Amino acid sequence: MPAIRSTGRNRKPPPAGFEDIEDTLLEFSNKMKDAQSAPHEGKKKHETLWPIIQISHQRSRYIYELYYTKSAISKALYEYLVKNNYADAALMAKWKKQGYEKLCCVKCIQTKETNFSSTCICRVPKATLERGEGEAAGGGDGEDATTAVAGGRGGGGGGGGKVIQCVNCGCRGCASAD
Amino acid sequence: MLKSTHRAAGPANSHEPALPPGWTEHKAPTGHSYYYNAETKQSTYTRPAAPSQTHFFIDHTATPTPHAQVHGPTACSFGPPQRSEYGGSFRGGLSYQDRSRRQYQQDRPKKKKAIPGCEPWILVTTKLGRRFVHNPEKNESFWKFPQDVLLATFEMDRKEQEEKLSVEGEGPRAVATAEPRPQLPPLQRNNEADQRAADDSDSYEDVEVTDDENVDLEQPDAIEGPTKKQRTGPVEFNEEDIAYQLAQMGQEYGLDPGEYGNGEDDEYDTGLPLSADDSRALFYDLLTDHAINPYTTWEKVLEQGHIIDDERYVALPNMRTRKEAFTIWSTERIQELKEQRAKEEKKDPRIPYLRFLHEHATPKLYWPEFKRKYRKEEAMKDAYLPDKEREKLYRDHINRLKLPESTRRTGLKDLMKSIPLQHLHRNSTQDTLPATMLTDLRYISLPSRTRDPLIEAYICTLPSPPLDPSAAGPATSDQSEADKKAEEREKREKALREREKMVQEEKRKVMGALRRGKEVMRDEEREIEEALRVSGREGLRAYLTEMEANAAEGQASS
Repeated sequence: MPAIRSTGRNRKPPPAGFEDIEDTLLEFSNKMKDAQSAPHEGKKKHETLWPIIQISHQRSRYIYELYYTKSAISKALYEYLVKNNYADAALMAKWKKQGYEKLCCVKCIQTKETNFSSTCICRVPKATLERGEGEAAGGGDGEDATTAVAGGRGGGGGGGGKVIQCVNCGCRGCASAD
Repeated sequence: MLKSTHRAAGPANSHEPALPPGWTEHKAPTGHSYYYNAETKQSTYTRPAAPSQTHFFIDHTATPTPHAQVHGPTACSFGPPQRSEYGGSFRGGLSYQDRSRRQYQQDRPKKKKAIPGCEPWILVTTKLGRRFVHNPEKNESFWKFPQDVLLATFEMDRKEQEEKLSVEGEGPRAVATAEPRPQLPPLQRNNEADQRAADDSDSYEDVEVTDDENVDLEQPDAIEGPTKKQRTGPVEFNEEDIAYQLAQMGQEYGLDPGEYGNGEDDEYDTGLPLSADDSRALFYDLLTDHAINPYTTWEKVLEQGHIIDDERYVALPNMRTRKEAFTIWSTERIQELKEQRAKEEKKDPRIPYLRFLHEHATPKLYWPEFKRKYRKEEAMKDAYLPDKEREKLYRDHINRLKLPESTRRTGLKDLMKSIPLQHLHRNSTQDTLPATMLTDLRYISLPSRTRDPLIEAYICTLPSPPLDPSAAGPATSDQSEADKKAEEREKREKALREREKMVQEEKRKVMGALRRGKEVMRDEEREIEEALRVSGREGLRAYLTEMEANAAEGQASS
């Protein structure tokens, strides 16, 4: 969440190029505001944070791509954005590593606080994910993985259409192999 | 397609042969006419034909071929001998409906056309789309085209097809495919089936049809291929249907596709190719044309949905490639914008601020008061102009405003004189004054109603700008580059259009095949139904003997 920019006397202007991306960033912040003020009735406790984490992820991705793949913004601007919390620096640091290119959130690779010292279910590649495995590995942090929709084990035909969503951020799978 | 079989019963009746003795015609309450035989107490919807009269219909006597001689009399003993307008049907047997309808069809010449290359000959197209050649000098007509006329006709057809931008190479293929067309086994149900088989075989015979013959029209099937499309007959039986039919028959007989025709592979190699690069470039054009901001996200672009309606959107096959293309395009576009901005002179942040001062600053307000009063104004919030600078400019400006007007006037004149001629010249206007002038306090220290006439008067005294030799060179090269780009783009778009057309064609073909398949199924069903009805418990043989008995009886009574 970026800090509110002061309009005071000592305000330093953002680096050049900020005005190009200002509109998109404003849209993101509007979306974020909507998500924050959205009603939470009918949602599970862990679900309430999902849209917020999603928007934050999208914004980080946007800035990351502008800087690293499109090289559309200067280093000064990139640092300014990171410093002003427009982007999640820890997450972007992970994206640079092999195997973490699509990581959804940092919590999903945190193994310390899980029951079996494992990562989140969304880190498992879809190819190796078997039917019904979602329940066993899902979440793993004590909360029941109710979000993993049961695929009807006894049902015929290997559709493999099992939908899993992790508990932390609602990710449906962010393995690099997918 | 499904026309009533009884439709023609009214007006066409006059052309029908008279009923055999013993039969009377009646009208059913539904309007159908039916026939009743008081002696045998039979009633039927199908018109009983007098066997003796049907011989009149077929006239192979002009140039009787051995084949016709063999089949002629026997073939004509039952049912109307008028030929189907599409030879043997795709299923071997003609549908019963077709047969009964055919009975009433009348064909007549519709349009004629001179065949270039064989001068006296005229190609005549009939109402049902069949064609024959006519020689007005010798006053003779042939369904079977003479060799030289045939070649000339092919040539003409091909030209026509090319003109129509039809992509299929039909002329030669029709010839290639028509010959090995398998002979279908006749349905040995009754003699009509025999006759149909005869139809199939003798469509390739040398049958000459004389001018006066207007009822029995024989179809020169082998040379009809190229014009199937133009037909206006009751059944739209065009070139693709033939291809389908051939494939169908080939399957039935276990033939390889090469045996009955050269397949469909040569169909789509014409037209401009649309390479991957081209389609990508088309997509870039699309993004550029819709003035997409290269700094937005792909999701946002999709959300707005302007580009989705454009046909260039489908130049790329899937979402992943589209997204990739967007990434590449935006990268390039941002680079372009950067370069463009670097070329442009930097906008001085002081210009809007000084303009604002010119309008609002008065010696009555101190800087803090002024700042407080106008703190919401855009010019006062600009982050690129530091507060200190702003304050300094304000104070200086107020001090200048306190000077007498004559001093300020001379100050402005001095400013204008100091600007070199290439920046300020005769062609300059109030809107195109150089930045050096706009950022100077002397420019804003006079009220605009005294300042503007002064500046205009000064500009009028100035000479034209000095010619810049370096300006002309790059401009022309830019021009040629732009031309080249436009040309490439046109080519791409043409290719896209062509592909679009091809897709439409393909779609049409699939629909045609589907329709044909359905028709085949319907015919088959009808056939089965008929067969069931005919061969009930007594079987086919009983039916046949009964028919023969009837015929003999009819002949005896006549």
